[in-house]
Amino acid sequence: MRTYVLRRLAQSALTLLGVSVLVFVILRVLPGDPARMLLPDGAPESAVAELNRQLGLREPFVVQYGLFLGSVARGDFGQSFQYRAPALRVVLERLPATVHLTLAAMLITIAAGVPLGIFTAVRRGTRYDVAGTIVAVLGQSLPNFWLGIMLILLFGVALRWLPTSGFASWTSLVLPAVTLAAFPTALVARLTRSSMLEILNRDYIRTGRAKGLAERSVVFRHALRNAAIPVLTVIGLQIGALLGGAVITESIFAWPGMGKLIVDAIFFRDFPVVQTVLILSATVFVVINLAVDLLYTVIDPRIRYL
Amino acid sequence: MREQDPRPTLIDRRRFIATSGAALVVASAPRVAAGQAKRSGEIAAGLSERMLTLDPANHYSISTTSVLRHLFDPLIDVTNDSKFVPALAETWRPVNATTWRFTLRKGVTFHDGTPFNADSVVFTLKRVRDNTKLIKSFVYQDLAEVEKDGDYGVVVTTKRPFGSLPSHLTMLGMLPPSAGKGEEAFFQKPIGTGPFRFVSWTHGDQIALTANPSYWKPGIPKVEKLTFRFIPELSTRTAALRAGELQVIDRVTPDLVETLKGTRGVKVVDVPAIEAQRWIFQLGKEPVKDQRLRQAISLAIDRNVIIKELLRGYGRPVDSPVPPGLIGHTTLPPKNYDPEKARQILKQAGMSNVSVDIVLMKDFYPKQLEITQAVAAMLSDVGIKLNIKNLEIATAREQRTAGTYDLFFSGWAHMPHDPDWYFGQWFTKAGSEKLTRYSNPKVEQLIAEGRVPDPKVRQAKYEELERIVWDEEAELWLYYTVAIYGVSERLRNFEARRDYYVLLSDVSIA
Amino acid sequence: MVPRGTRRHPAMAIGGCLLGLVVVASLFAPALTIYDPLKPSFSQRLVPPWGLGGTSAHLLGTDNLGRDILSRLLYGGRISLALAMSAVAIAALVGVVVGLVASWGGAKSDAVIMRVADVQLAFPVIMLAIAIVAVVGTNPLALVGVLALSGWVLYARTIRAHVLTLKQLDYIEAAATLGASDARVILRHVLPNTVAPILVIGSSQFATMVLLESGLSFLGMGIQAPRASWGLMLAEGRDYLSNAWWLATAPGLMIALVVLGANLLGDGLRDLLDPTLRNLES
Repeated sequence: MRTYVLRRLAQSALTLLGVSVLVFVILRVLPGDPARMLLPDGAPESAVAELNRQLGLREPFVVQYGLFLGSVARGDFGQSFQYRAPALRVVLERLPATVHLTLAAMLITIAAGVPLGIFTAVRRGTRYDVAGTIVAVLGQSLPNFWLGIMLILLFGVALRWLPTSGFASWTSLVLPAVTLAAFPTALVARLTRSSMLEILNRDYIRTGRAKGLAERSVVFRHALRNAAIPVLTVIGLQIGALLGGAVITESIFAWPGMGKLIVDAIFFRDFPVVQTVLILSATVFVVINLAVDLLYTVIDPRIRYL
Repeated sequence: MREQDPRPTLIDRRRFIATSGAALVVASAPRVAAGQAKRSGEIAAGLSERMLTLDPANHYSISTTSVLRHLFDPLIDVTNDSKFVPALAETWRPVNATTWRFTLRKGVTFHDGTPFNADSVVFTLKRVRDNTKLIKSFVYQDLAEVEKDGDYGVVVTTKRPFGSLPSHLTMLGMLPPSAGKGEEAFFQKPIGTGPFRFVSWTHGDQIALTANPSYWKPGIPKVEKLTFRFIPELSTRTAALRAGELQVIDRVTPDLVETLKGTRGVKVVDVPAIEAQRWIFQLGKEPVKDQRLRQAISLAIDRNVIIKELLRGYGRPVDSPVPPGLIGHTTLPPKNYDPEKARQILKQAGMSNVSVDIVLMKDFYPKQLEITQAVAAMLSDVGIKLNIKNLEIATAREQRTAGTYDLFFSGWAHMPHDPDWYFGQWFTKAGSEKLTRYSNPKVEQLIAEGRVPDPKVRQAKYEELERIVWDEEAELWLYYTVAIYGVSERLRNFEARRDYYVLLSDVSIA
Repeated sequence: MVPRGTRRHPAMAIGGCLLGLVVVASLFAPALTIYDPLKPSFSQRLVPPWGLGGTSAHLLGTDNLGRDILSRLLYGGRISLALAMSAVAIAALVGVVVGLVASWGGAKSDAVIMRVADVQLAFPVIMLAIAIVAVVGTNPLALVGVLALSGWVLYARTIRAHVLTLKQLDYIEAAATLGASDARVILRHVLPNTVAPILVIGSSQFATMVLLESGLSFLGMGIQAPRASWGLMLAEGRDYLSNAWWLATAPGLMIALVVLGANLLGDGLRDLLDPTLRNLES
């Protein structure tokens, strides 16, 4: 077990290093010039060249990477090209909004998805099942921004029950979290359903029923526990996805989170911010996956990794 | 929108008498002294473009200029009809072609109580000239000397005539000399002389300001708190206005005007802007190097249909490279729609089935893709195939620098209300080298001659050079834009600005 | 004669029919509509659908350039569906090959390949998309490449897991002991066992690809104007949701239909072919 953990840690570190190199390379290979993004159209070429030099972009690639690694080790992720403020600070400023949104969306996903999945599994084949499946598919396939803007128009403009955008108070969380949660909720619901269906047909469940255990007990105590594994996997993956991929939702709701930050930074060629966000989110992703893997071994010691 | 009842009824007459009676009472009351109107309320504005910095010298963005104008005062302000009026400078005179003399306003203090005087001006100007990392620096490289002339006078000498210096100065807020000791800390909590003080800023999200009670202009500001939120998404920005969360938004598209007008409590104001939507040609390479093709392209485009149908009337036909109201505007022969002539020209030039690439910067201008597709359809009618390349901004600019484009969707908002920058950038050899590759020595000479401070001379030179470039079809001038703002009916005294600035110092809220 | 299993799996039949209907309609687009999907008509901008203020001339209304929406939906379907299908095919091909190499080729190649997969997974698809498009340009091939890139890992992992379990089965070991070459073992025994998972993953991935294409086009990375694709129609309709909601709703519903069909089909195939795949992360 110990060697397994150590091995996974080493692998994680290697992954992170790989990510950092990849980010670095991709950014500098992209066409487009950070200085030209900052200066107006009317700036002379000499100004562009000078600004590029000031931003440290004229050094050889390896030198740049070396300097970067060195400063990261000291906790310095460089200065944002756009905002001329420390990149780490710019990114961390946006972290609370992202965390709140992610947690809220996760809450909705679990609170709505799992019960929906159980419900449709237990009522398999009936019209409840069909209705539930259709709702789930809609959640998986309706475009994010369509849902978001429709919710804004209905609850923000027409009814004025909720704020239309921004992160002012906890009520601001509702619409964006619902929009963001639509896809994962549907996914979790369908996965829970199929997981439950498989378990509910297993022998030991039938035995339990034959022995006279209450249906409720059968469903909750035995089936659910076993169905948890794949659901956990998806939840773990979704957290990673949510952190990095809430771009569209954040754009619609003017949510001051990291998704929009990174897309803007990429379009603006703000290298330090892109690097910082990617390294931070890759770290979170790797840590969560590590945690999920370790959780597996706790839940089911029979699982062995090759 | 309520219908008007044309018949005055009894009730109406009674109400009329009542209100006029009330009016008499109010009119006979002792007048409140101007300047003692109390500040109250808060305004929240939604801007479409993110603000990037709190340093007036380090950006060229319209929305940042709008916001920072509330924190800092420049030496000179520009009114909505392009007149230059005193702000922190009471007078400014060209002593000769390369020397400007400023006299400064007395009795102004910074937000921390320190007085504003010539030291501030000297510091601000020297800083922007000498610190080449600053984005505005290149404009001020022409400053030779900046010297105090007493505590409230400054003399600026330039290396060559700099007639547009006052207009550039309208965008440069004055900083206290103390900013020099620790700039990074200063710009965390900046201090200016402006009508509002800094409270907080979250990058890319919103900035909060609070009233400056000791502002030098009496009665300003009229509200206690001001917040600017940055919401690039059009639907969200308009939704926030409609829901009453914002009181003013900028960059409303023509298609949303009806929706906004139909919302209770909201109205739409618009004004012709000092922006020309004009596409640029890559003049250094075939096929658009050929003037005949450029002429054919211009003739094949029905600008009136674009203005009427796509812009719903929110656009103006062009009659000069420089929009009306600015120095240099003149009336040149209109750009007509004549597809038959276009076909003839192409036939005579032996150009059939020409293919032209147009590059767009993604999401830069509203409705740009729509308009480009419309133009593509018009051009295909005369046998020109327009290939649309909607690229990421950085990639598009890269292609522009490298010259691998034929047409580029672009516009020019004459930001310091002066065309000198426009001409210097796009119509001199050095300026357009990595842009349009334009070169005409005669035009270049006229631009240089137009730099002197005398407005009459400038007008004459600009008219002459515009005639030349207009005939050359050096750029593809399409239309002048109209700035549309969505405004809450609670706001008083909001002025729709032609330069897209959102200025709220003298706006109050009911 | 009804295909085996459809009577017991009505959902699969429905899904298949739905999908088939959309595919056929797109293929026969020119026969189904008289309007040119690319030609603007300035006087006919933003006409609502029939029954909601519009006329029967334009069943689903017109867009911001006066083009018929139904027509663009059908022609756009060709592009969106073709992209999704090719992306799935390429992702499957690459994923299977890589999965085989990883599981058959020894521990070292396995470790390297899985690390590469991890690194790629840690990257948001969007950033990869932006990078690829910025370097290569916005032609459809690049788009297919990006879509395929987002999908191969699932195949690789599944195949790898499958093969690793298969490797321990008696008859495989027997074949190897008896001297059958690696290639022969793979081709005759391993691959046939992987067809089922590939089909199941493929059908639900198809849905994901359609969604991804629309997301990329939404960000401007996908199909370029004036061509129509569902994703681009969504993007173009974005600014009109307050006053002309049908521009974005039509392609959105179409995507939902296709995703529904693909998912039902995929579920049915899985039930039919290999129920052990129930717990795949999709």
